[in-house]
Amino acid sequence: MSEAPELTDSEAFAAEHALGVLSAAERRQAEARMAAEPEFAVLVDNWRERLIPMADTLASIPAPHALWLRIERSLGANDNAASVKGLRFWRGATVGSLTLAAASLAAAVLLANQPPVVIQPPPAGQLLDASLVSQTGAPVPLFIAAYDPTRKALIVTSLVTPGNDPAHVHELWVIPADGKPRPLGILQPGKTVAMPMPDSLLPSLAAGSALAVSLEPPGGSPKIDAPTGPITAVGKLAKI
Amino acid sequence: MAVATTPEDLAQLMTRVASGERAALRQLYDATSAKLFAVCLRILSDREESEDVLQEVYVTVWRRADRFDASRASVMTWVSTIARNRAIDRLRARGPLAYADQIEDLEIPDGSISAEALLVTAGEEGRLHRCLSELDDRTEKVIRTAFFEGVTYEALARRLDTPLGTVKSWVRRGLAKLKGCLAQ
Repeated sequence: MSEAPELTDSEAFAAEHALGVLSAAERRQAEARMAAEPEFAVLVDNWRERLIPMADTLASIPAPHALWLRIERSLGANDNAASVKGLRFWRGATVGSLTLAAASLAAAVLLANQPPVVIQPPPAGQLLDASLVSQTGAPVPLFIAAYDPTRKALIVTSLVTPGNDPAHVHELWVIPADGKPRPLGILQPGKTVAMPMPDSLLPSLAAGSALAVSLEPPGGSPKIDAPTGPITAVGKLAKI
Repeated sequence: MAVATTPEDLAQLMTRVASGERAALRQLYDATSAKLFAVCLRILSDREESEDVLQEVYVTVWRRADRFDASRASVMTWVSTIARNRAIDRLRARGPLAYADQIEDLEIPDGSISAEALLVTAGEEGRLHRCLSELDDRTEKVIRTAFFEGVTYEALARRLDTPLGTVKSWVRRGLAKLKGCLAQ
């Protein structure tokens, strides 16, 4: 292994971001790319995973005892818990009671509306991302979405294994603050799609809006304004 | 008190943190804070600031637990990355090149392997350590310094009194070799 092949520019940039040698402007650029390009995000993740073990060589240093008390005092409510509760309510709703179900999702959206703690200085336009997690069993991410304002496109990666359920399709919805679901399109299992967003939908693609995926008959929901099948994954859009 | 240690334990805890269980966050804190405190101290070399960062880290973990994605990273990598990023932000907020000069009189052990880590040389950190030591000494030192002190290329170049492009190519070549070695 005397001469390793050079890293591609993309991968070198990802590795440098993981290592932490980039300037502030470059770091922001890297964060933006992570949001817009799932492949790039994976490169960064892999490099973090490679390099973080270096930290394990540091001897542990116990934090002062009082620190936990300080942390506990500053916790406040956990907005995740609130939205999970809302979603359980959604799950409990029968397929027939769409109004009720939509109302509960709206409630989840409202509860999830608290601003995130980590706020990077936003780049020009507002990049958003969301991880859509499963609504049954352990919460597993099933879809990853990022909104790229420069392309006016939502880039969505499906992590679902193809061929599992040929009788149904995955339809993506956005539920903005008004609680009314808008259909965004059909997702392909295991694929990444860039979905151009019409101007009419742009106001809906805001931080705090929920993205949801429902299981529908081929061709998508027979209703234009509501899912008819069960919701398999939900996530909220957040600023990056 | 039993402390969760395996990656699976930690992943379980994260699920509970995400559903709003404070006791789970406390357990995660018990299992990870000493490691993260060491990381913050190494970067900031200031206890008070490191405590502030650590507080921010766990509040972030609490609020953003739904962002944790077990298919993308282990819990330890996720929380360490948050801690490093916050510490580096804090460091850089001190001024553009405040971190250009190395602080020598640290009470904190440097990046050399600790006795604790030697016990687990079969693990990931052992592998990484071996691969790092296969690099030439200068490259190894530069990569370790970058990682542990959160310094930019610019600061590294100034510190080493070497052109930025040269430092950059050392690091890039070193990272490429590391990747090759770790893949073996």
